[in-house]
Amino acid sequence: MTNHWIDFRNADVILVMGANPAENHPIAMKWIARARERGAKLVVVDPRFTKTASKADLYAPIRPGTDIAFLGGLINYILQKGLYFREYVVNYTNASYLVNPEFKGPGQLEGLFSGYNEKARQYDKKTWSFQMDEAAGVPRKDPSLRDPHSVFQLMKQQYSRYSLERVSAITGTPADKLAAVYQAYASTGRPGRAGTELYAMGWTQHTVGTQNIRAMSIIQLLLGNVGIAGGGINALRGESNVQGSTDHGLLFNSLPGYLSVPTASMADLAAYNDKNTPKSKDAKSVNWWSNKPKYMVSYLKAIYGAHAKKENDFCYAWLPKLDEGMNASWLMIFDNMIKGRYEGFFAWGQNPACSGANSNKVRKGLAKLEWMVNVNLFDNETGSFWRGPGVNPADIQTEVFLLPACSSVEKEGSITNSGRLAQWRRKAIEPIGQSRPDAEIMNELYFRVKGLYRKEGGKSPAPILELAWDYGAPGPDGKIEKVDISRVAMEINGYYLEDVWDKKAVPPKQLGKKGALCASFVTLQADGSTSCGNWIYSQSYTQKDGKAVNMMARRSKEDPTGLGLFAGWAWAWPVNRRILYNRAGVDPNGSPWDPKRAVIKWEALAIDKVTGKPGLWKGDVPDGPAPPLAAKGGKYPFIMKPDGMGAIFGPGLVDGPFPEHYEPLESPLQANPMSAKVRINPAARMFYTAQGGLPEDVFANADPRFPIVGTTYRVTEHWQTGVLTRHLPWQMELQPQQFVELSTELAGQKDIKSGDKVTVSSARGKVWAVAIVTERFRPVMVMGKVVHQVGLPWCYGWQYPTDGSGGDSSNLLTPTIGDANTLIPETKAFMVNVQKA
Amino acid sequence: MARMALLVSPELCIGCRGCQSACKEWNGLPAVKTVNRGTFENPPDLTGADYNRIRFMEVPSAQDAQRWLFVSQRCMHCGDAACMKICPSSGALFRAKNGAVVFDKGKCIGCKLCGSACPYGLIRFDQANKVSKCHLCHDRTEAGLTPACVKTCPSGALKYGDRDKLAAEASAAGYSNLYGEADLGGTGVLYAFKDSPKVYGMLQNPAFPAEVHFWSGIKSLAYLGLGATVAASALHYLVIGPHKEEGEEVKKDE
Amino acid sequence: MSRMVKKAGAFEIVNHWMLAGSCLVLALSGFAFVFHLDGVAALFGGFPPMRAWHNISGVVFAVSLFLTVFSYLPVSLSFSADDMKWLSMGGGYLSRNKKELPPQDKLNTGQKLYYLVLLGMGAVMSASGFTIWLLGNKGLVLLSYFAHNLFFVFFMVAIPVHIYLGTFANPGTLRIMLSGKVPLDWARRRYGKWVSRMGLG
Ligand code: SF4
Ligand code: SF4
Ligand code: SF4
Repeated sequence: MTNHWIDFRNADVILVMGANPAENHPIAMKWIARARERGAKLVVVDPRFTKTASKADLYAPIRPGTDIAFLGGLINYILQKGLYFREYVVNYTNASYLVNPEFKGPGQLEGLFSGYNEKARQYDKKTWSFQMDEAAGVPRKDPSLRDPHSVFQLMKQQYSRYSLERVSAITGTPADKLAAVYQAYASTGRPGRAGTELYAMGWTQHTVGTQNIRAMSIIQLLLGNVGIAGGGINALRGESNVQGSTDHGLLFNSLPGYLSVPTASMADLAAYNDKNTPKSKDAKSVNWWSNKPKYMVSYLKAIYGAHAKKENDFCYAWLPKLDEGMNASWLMIFDNMIKGRYEGFFAWGQNPACSGANSNKVRKGLAKLEWMVNVNLFDNETGSFWRGPGVNPADIQTEVFLLPACSSVEKEGSITNSGRLAQWRRKAIEPIGQSRPDAEIMNELYFRVKGLYRKEGGKSPAPILELAWDYGAPGPDGKIEKVDISRVAMEINGYYLEDVWDKKAVPPKQLGKKGALCASFVTLQADGSTSCGNWIYSQSYTQKDGKAVNMMARRSKEDPTGLGLFAGWAWAWPVNRRILYNRAGVDPNGSPWDPKRAVIKWEALAIDKVTGKPGLWKGDVPDGPAPPLAAKGGKYPFIMKPDGMGAIFGPGLVDGPFPEHYEPLESPLQANPMSAKVRINPAARMFYTAQGGLPEDVFANADPRFPIVGTTYRVTEHWQTGVLTRHLPWQMELQPQQFVELSTELAGQKDIKSGDKVTVSSARGKVWAVAIVTERFRPVMVMGKVVHQVGLPWCYGWQYPTDGSGGDSSNLLTPTIGDANTLIPETKAFMVNVQKA
Repeated sequence: MARMALLVSPELCIGCRGCQSACKEWNGLPAVKTVNRGTFENPPDLTGADYNRIRFMEVPSAQDAQRWLFVSQRCMHCGDAACMKICPSSGALFRAKNGAVVFDKGKCIGCKLCGSACPYGLIRFDQANKVSKCHLCHDRTEAGLTPACVKTCPSGALKYGDRDKLAAEASAAGYSNLYGEADLGGTGVLYAFKDSPKVYGMLQNPAFPAEVHFWSGIKSLAYLGLGATVAASALHYLVIGPHKEEGEEVKKDE
Repeated sequence: MSRMVKKAGAFEIVNHWMLAGSCLVLALSGFAFVFHLDGVAALFGGFPPMRAWHNISGVVFAVSLFLTVFSYLPVSLSFSADDMKWLSMGGGYLSRNKKELPPQDKLNTGQKLYYLVLLGMGAVMSASGFTIWLLGNKGLVLLSYFAHNLFFVFFMVAIPVHIYLGTFANPGTLRIMLSGKVPLDWARRRYGKWVSRMGLG
């Protein structure tokens, strides 16, 4: 999230699209209700009339997988009617930048951007570049936004194809509803009006997932909604700590703090830094990522300790490297697994046999393993895959171990919510039975593996043997008996390993004392004098008067701004900033666009106590201390971008600098109505092609056998695949069984009544479900024909309840394909059939 | 203590049913085995182990295809509580300081008369046939806490507080219909509605059962009758006297 | 000293006492229920056990009442001119000036009427009691509740009258419930018709 949960209450228009907070993030509704009490409008766009929709001022149905068409239409609406926030767009975004004249968009290339290589399903992004002012080394601009090569004009051109009628025909959203949503949301383009967008898996789990969010970012930039209270683009994360785990390097391609994982070609640290550190010649651009080498070295110091020295490149060589172009994300793990490429597998706190898209493939993949370790609170469908439906245990060779983990209330530690707020939790009770905190399990594992390396040797033992693992007092055998989780948190925050000085200051100023916890990432160094496990968390565990202070455990309820920032409650990364890009929330002179909801404000005459000079930011922690843009030494607001600008043109993604509508892998349409030649995202990796593939990966587009659009979701009562909640009889009482929601029209055609048991099938599998026949799901008119839609939760599994009364995972239906950028599986739009069981 | 109340605002409720789970957890109530009946709603009715529940209702709406309402259901804590009036056991149902109608299972005799008397039909019984219903978290409120369901409610659909204040707040917030405000001596559970209570499936014009009402008006006749008869007998004995025994004088009838 | 005659058999005596006993328990607990008398309930060990006493006594009462049918119903249904006369004389209860009453059968007219009324009231009491206890139908339960209570009041009037008449008002009558035997003279005076019908002289 750019903003945070409480901030929803500051919005004037709340667009919920790709999310269902009333069901999945109930507490969000509290703040949405507050906003509505103030007169804010809640707009919900969803295939189904959801619990959130039941609270909406405006609801519009949509066919799953057509969000870009919907949003493209909104961009067009804003541009055609001139409803964008011009001053913001000109000053704070790259709209005025001039693009390479050779760049061509989907309007010109029948659905493609320039540089496409069909065989590789990849773009050569050479033409997706800006025209450079050679002398200054910065992109050329046209602040009038009239140049035909300007980002603004290119955008206008591309989205002029997204007329209301056309969008309505694609999305199935009635034109009047579409217009009403557009009008409501575009009304936030005026200063003094704030619009926010809340999304979740309904946007990400598509072949165009990243571009869905890009499309909204463009809208938010056009309307000046980024950096303000009640604005932003807010991912409602699906688990309480998924933000934290992503921050700490959960993804295969990122190290903690979103440092990229090195690839094989980056032979040494210098090569890595060169490749990964963005450069800017624009003096007004902070280009914060130019500090990356400091964060990387501090990270290496944190994990390899004293062994990491300047002389040995800080042990950079010890870091595992990705092969060039290698993708090791979720879908690939199971693709490789089913192809027999793995020997063992740790399923740690997860249940892929139910949560994984195309679960049948996952379940078959598990059978190819020699061993599996299932770390969980309960046994689940993954650990018990060998006795699952249709599996003969005698055929399975996999040895499965269950390591019982304890629950979150049985251990201490931090969790980071969607608003980047890291909160420290104390232990409520001791772990039950043999269960242990994850950290203890890892500790045990670490020392055993280390012992084996020591005893037996092996390939590249050093990274294990020399790993800094200093989380408690070692026993006589050198093994740490009990992990002190605070020490992990301190390692993440980082230490000064030497006295650290700001040598540029006159006179030089001491930034930190040897042995102390780092004050913040601003003081991290690239010379090995600091360590930091995760730079964005630096300042989360600091030092005051010689004592360690856990900032995440703070519990102040003060809110001086009245905006609900609660700066003294826990701690948010980075540096306790509650609203990101807040420098974009003020005009170039530092005055807030909306004085009534000022996140930060520049007071030119106030004296800054630290520097002793006039000029001071009030309010939230600003995105960097520099004065506002128009002042002397002023900086652009988007400090994480090399050029400091909000990216309307986004060449960083693999599938195009502007979002374009493509159909889902499985859709009811033969062709993409936007561009007849390119049906699905041309850069998405295909698992099943005309040349064939694994039978598990088949798909069925516009196939009369599967004429109904399917989607999946969760229910309040269950947590993800329900491993935790299906064992809670109270929750099972509320939501006992797999169900499928379908319209009265479809039910009528199929002679299905509410409460009937039905079978839902796709090209890959089938599940039974109890039919919920409802007016809340309506067929939509897509390209002149009626399209029916159904939806199922994915919270059930065969293993528990043991009598099988719960049903099985709806992921047995979902396809193997992912987003072109992230490979997040497309589980939100696929084709099914429904029949009376 | 001023009379307290629980204000239910279905317009705010998101049907998350935290209230249902919280109630079961706080009161240590066992789960009830259910099936999906083609609706999100479960259990299908209040039970001795479900003191509250959300009714899910799809009703037509002018604006959208649907209107989906989530209406909390539980004992109304009537100001004039028929269940208390009819209860033959002393202290099995009693009025708490905050105005709640609370039960004491130890004193409940399991006659289920209250079940028949409740105008709303909101009383249930546990396995041992003891009265089981919402008690407005008597144990919590006595200790200065809010009821468990209110505490857990994320949306503000359940609020607990001074009855008059809550009522005033609801009116000020534009809820035209305050269900329960005047019914049955004013209920301790109020509903803030924007439409007629019928839309939300509420009982129209709940009435105190006449039998209970009438009887409680005349029940002192039992004492009176007994007393009067005993007195009359004594009087008879003194004034007229008994039939004489041996040696009595009896006049022959002519 | 007159010869003793057997006015009531063992069955009749025992049954009458069962009726009386259950009635007493029912009345006492009934009072405690209606008026929440904790002290009375304490005698039974509190309200929940008292309910058991009440219900069991209810069963005893209903059964005993039914059994009385064999002892008293036939005679209670046989009315003659003597009965009318007895009635017109108010059973002799209305004046200190006792006149000779027409000869009576096993039960005198008053007793016959009393019995019929009691039988009816008892039936209502039992039926309503069992409805409350065993049936779930709300409407019926509420109706029964009302009837049970109303007839409770009636009983509270009827029972003391019965006791008074059987004891103070008619000295010697209680013997029928104890040994069952009464002096022949006494019986002849009060139940002349019965004495002759039984051929007791
Ligand atoms: S709603 Fe029913 S149970 Fe609750 S107080 Fe009123 S009469 Fe009693
Ligand atoms: S007030 Fe207490 S007893 Fe009543 S429903 Fe809420 S949690 Fe349950
Ligand atoms: S907890 Fe509140 S919002 Fe959730 S269902 Fe209950 S009343 Fe509604």
